Parts: sequence; structure tokens; C-alpha cells
Amino acid sequence: MTDAFIVLEKVCKSYSRGGETLHVLDEFNLSIPESDFVALMGPSGSGKTTILNLVGGLDSCDSGLVRVAGAPVSEMSRRDLPAWRSRHVGFVFQSFNLLPVLTAHENVMLPLQLTPLSGSERRKQADFALDIVGLSGRASHRPAQLSGGEEQRVAIARAIATDPDVIIADEPTGDLDRKSADGVLEILSRLNSELGKTILMVTHDPLAAKKALRLLELDKGVLIEDRQIDEQQREGA
Amino acid sequence: MRFPFRLALRHLLARKTRNGLTVVAISVAVFLLCFLIAIVQGLEASVRSASATRLVTQSAVSLFVSLPISYQHKIDSVDGVYLSTKFRWFGAYYQDQENFFAQFAVDPNRFLDMYTKDIEIIEGPGGITGPEAKAAVQKAFDSDRRAAIIGIGLRDDERYGFRIGDTVPLIPLLYPRADGGAWDFVIVGYYRPLKDRIPDTTMYFRADYLNEAFESGEAYGDIAAGVYYVNTLENAPVEQVAQEIDEMFANGPQRTQTITEAAFASFFISAMGNLPLFLGTIGGAVLFSIFFSVVNTMMISGRQRIQEAGILQALGFRPITSTMLLIFEGLLISLIGGGCGIVLAVTTERPIMQMLGQSISNYHITPDLVLLAVAISSILGIVAGLAAGLPFLRYRPTEALRSFE
Repeated sequence: MTDAFIVLEKVCKSYSRGGETLHVLDEFNLSIPESDFVALMGPSGSGKTTILNLVGGLDSCDSGLVRVAGAPVSEMSRRDLPAWRSRHVGFVFQSFNLLPVLTAHENVMLPLQLTPLSGSERRKQADFALDIVGLSGRASHRPAQLSGGEEQRVAIARAIATDPDVIIADEPTGDLDRKSADGVLEILSRLNSELGKTILMVTHDPLAAKKALRLLELDKGVLIEDRQIDEQQREGA
Repeated sequence: MRFPFRLALRHLLARKTRNGLTVVAISVAVFLLCFLIAIVQGLEASVRSASATRLVTQSAVSLFVSLPISYQHKIDSVDGVYLSTKFRWFGAYYQDQENFFAQFAVDPNRFLDMYTKDIEIIEGPGGITGPEAKAAVQKAFDSDRRAAIIGIGLRDDERYGFRIGDTVPLIPLLYPRADGGAWDFVIVGYYRPLKDRIPDTTMYFRADYLNEAFESGEAYGDIAAGVYYVNTLENAPVEQVAQEIDEMFANGPQRTQTITEAAFASFFISAMGNLPLFLGTIGGAVLFSIFFSVVNTMMISGRQRIQEAGILQALGFRPITSTMLLIFEGLLISLIGGGCGIVLAVTTERPIMQMLGQSISNYHITPDLVLLAVAISSILGIVAGLAAGLPFLRYRPTEALRSFE
């Protein structure tokens, strides 16, 4: 378990809502090896997004240990987490979360500002990321001028621009039609298979989940299913 | 901290109408502020430029009651008095009542000797300049009772454009001529103020021109002096000299009140009520209201950016980046608005000076005032940006990402 790339050990997480304490995760354990592509499924409130937030360092756990690529994320201070996120994690959100005032290229350039790269290197890197998602021709477009599928592909380009270890995708196809969703999933699969990115994806879409290498199903904070998805299932998806 | 400048600039340009209106509001407020402060400074300037060793002897009854001309040689005889001159408000206009500037009837040669540190004669008759100009002007005063000197402001103002040698007819408001005509004056020299706050739009002429006209029946008015300006000897006890002058006339036809020139200038300002306080209050109110307007604009911007703050944090920026973005935006909006207001104040300085005329003759947009306006604009923007941006420091990324405006 200690060789795993993403590790959650005895993680507890609860939220206070309206005076009540809601225990989402209770001594939760999970281990994901490097270059895995994991789909997290389960009903609302089962703890999927909480796991993503803990792994991505967007939230902290009450107790337990979260380790990503050897870094003890759960022990990092609020001050240290942003710098760690900028180097190791790329996020893809359901609602894309692109900044509407920036062009596609500028959105992809944004996280690169936090790297030591020069201006021209950053521009090249952003061009490369947009090329990977097939949107080189839309670099100067604003999000409002792009389709939903294109917006999500720009968001993926932004997520991979800094060459992170882990890509965290929270329902990346939730707001997309089937065709666009397939395009986005295809890109995520390629990032995993060709570039070796470790991907953790929450989804409600069984077809999307079948694009992953491994499926985890949660219910009320408990892992009820953990299985590998074979080649045949993936191709049938 | 890496600061996303491009994002900040894009935000400014993205809301052109809202930001443009805020810039206009700040421009107007800063212009008004400069205008009001310049007026207050103009009012106070006459006090600052006044001499503490020069005395003014006026009627104890009212400033509008004249003093007999026989008082002058008695004043000159008081121990500690160096020199005195009559000083009488003439009150006439050139061609049109809007063309009004100050004119004073004085004893010209005494006046020029008394004010050597305040004004300089830069040109006399026949184009004489330099140190000889004053003597030439004094000679011209001796030879022509209509002789007058003017400030360079009257020479340069296109409404007047008076030149040496010109005969200038002034239409009287206080002292009508028997023939119903104008008083003629012959320009014999230009003066330049040696102190910033002394107006350059005044005319000085011979007091005996008036008094002789009254005596001969050419014009209607009393043979008198308005007030006497009295220079004391160096190290003379000014208060004691003033007291002696007043005691001398305690039983005279007109009792006198002698005060320093500075106190006399203060008296003029207080005669208008507490105008500096009134204008200062208006200026403060303008500043206060525009401050809330800018804060409101920035708060609206801030509320619309909570989710953006979450996105930036997810990408690896610190929470303070979002705060700094709003401070930068507030600062830029305020500086652009403040800059426009300052430009407006500077470009309208001359027309406003002409509009205010002699009522406030020291209206100037000084470099200090410009710096003050820049400082106020900067503080306004920074405080507004802080008010809108500080809450971002509290948000966790997950909270901010959940926010939808």
C-alpha cells in the first residue's frame, strides 16, 4: 500500500450543516497506483467529490492521512497547498470553470504563470496543451464563443498545461451531450495511456466510467465495489 | 506572489460601462475637490502673503466709512512708523460689467516704496525694463495724474490686453463723473507679483486724481482715504504703534482701528462667513459619497468573482491573489478617474480664474494640490479594493467554487 501513488488511510471527514454533523467518510482507505485511471461512482452524498477534494488538496480531512506522489497532502498547511496544487494536480470541473474574460489560450496560460518558465516557454506549453486537445485553431476564442465540448477540452488543456502528476475530473461530461462527452473521455483516455497521467474521475455516467481502467463504487462513504475494467468493456463503452 | 496582470486588465475592459461610469464619477469628484481646495487656499493665501509688520488703519465704525486725508501726516509722525499710503477701493469696470478687476487709489510713490518685497515693476514708459523701470514709473506718476500701473495678468488677459501708453476708460460704479462719462487712466507700467499669492490683476493709480476731481466737482465723492497702509520701522513694536495711532484719533472726527495686514486679510475672509469651513465640508461630503460609490462598484465586482477566486486557488494561486486583483482594479479605476479630474482642474484653471475674478484672486491648481488629488485617488482605490477583496482571504477553495453569482 505504501508504494501506491495516491493513498488515503483511515480518513475521516465530516461537515457541519444546520447544526448537524454529517459524517461523509469514516476511516476510509484507498490506494491508487501511478498511471491508473479510476472512475468513482455512487449516489449523491456518497463521498465521491469529498475524496476528489481531499486528494486535490482543496479540502482537509478531520483525521487520517492523504498522500499523493509521496507528499503528505493532509499534513500541509493552507499556505503550502496552493503551490503544491500548481505543480502536482490538474483540475477538470463539470461546469468547465474557465475565466470568461480570457481567451482559450490565456486560460491555459494562467496556471503556467506559477511555473518558472519564461514567457515564450509558457506560450509554447499552452500551444502544445491546446494542440493535444485539438483546439489550436480556437486559441483566441473566448469561452462564450466555444461549444460546451470545446470549453471542456480547453479546461483539460489548462489542467495538463503544467504537466501535473494527477488529473482530477469532477463529472467532466456532466454538462455535455453524448458526442462531446465521448470526445472529452477520449482525450482523458489518451492522457492516461499515452502520457501516463494518473486520473481520478467522478461520474454518474456508466458509459463514461467504462472508459476508465478501474471502477470504484461508493455508498455512504463506504467502498462497495472495486473492480478493473477490461479492454472488452472499454471498447464496448 | 505571481500576479496575473493580464487577467486584471481584462476585467477592467470587460465591464466598460460600469467601470467607465465609476471613472467619470471619480473624475467629477476629484475635479470638485481640487476646485474647492483651490478656492479655500486662495482665500487663505491673502492671509499668508500679508505682512505681520505692516499695519492697516481703518475706521473703527466700518470698513465702508472713509478716513480723512488729514490723518496721513499724523500717522507718519507716530514713533515707529516708516511710511504710509492711502488705499481706496475704486470699483469700476472696463466696457462691460463682467470685465471687472480691482483698482485701488494709492499714493503711488509711497506705495511702490512700501511694496518692494511684494511686487516688482518690470516695465515702465518707453519700454524701460530692469532696475530703472521703477524710477521711470515713479516719474510718470509725478507727471500725469491719470497714471496707473497694472499687473501682468491684465496685460495678458485677452479681455483687456492693456499696454503701456494706452488710455483706459473705466466706467465707475461708486464715483460717477459729473459728465456721466468714464474715468480715464493712462497705463505707465506693469508689475509682477514677487509672492505667489499676490494677484497680478490689480490696477493702482493716484489717489489725488480722485480727490482733485471730487474737489473740483468733476466727479462725485468725498475727499478721503479708504484706509491707510502703514509700514513700521524694522524692530518697531507693531502692537504699540497700532495702539498709538488709534489713541491719537480717539477723539477725532473718525475713530480708527489699526490692525496688522494679516489680521485685516483674515477679517475679509471672516466677513464672508466661515467660507473655508463651508467649502471644506462640501469637499468632504463629495469625497465621502464618491468613496462609497467606488466601494460599491468594487463590492459588486468582488461578489461576482468569488467563483473565480476558487478557480484561481484550484490552479495554485494563493487567496491573496484575488484580493490583490481587486485592489489593483480599484487603484487603476481611481487613478484614471483622478487623473481625468486633475486634467480637468488644470485645463479649466484659467477660465475659472477669470470667472471668479477678484472675488477669489488666488485660485490656483498648484503641484501640491495635484499631488494631494493623486494621493486621495490612490487611497480611495486601495481602500475600495481592500473592502471588496478582503473576504477572499477567508474563502476555502471548495466554498468559493460552489459560489454562483
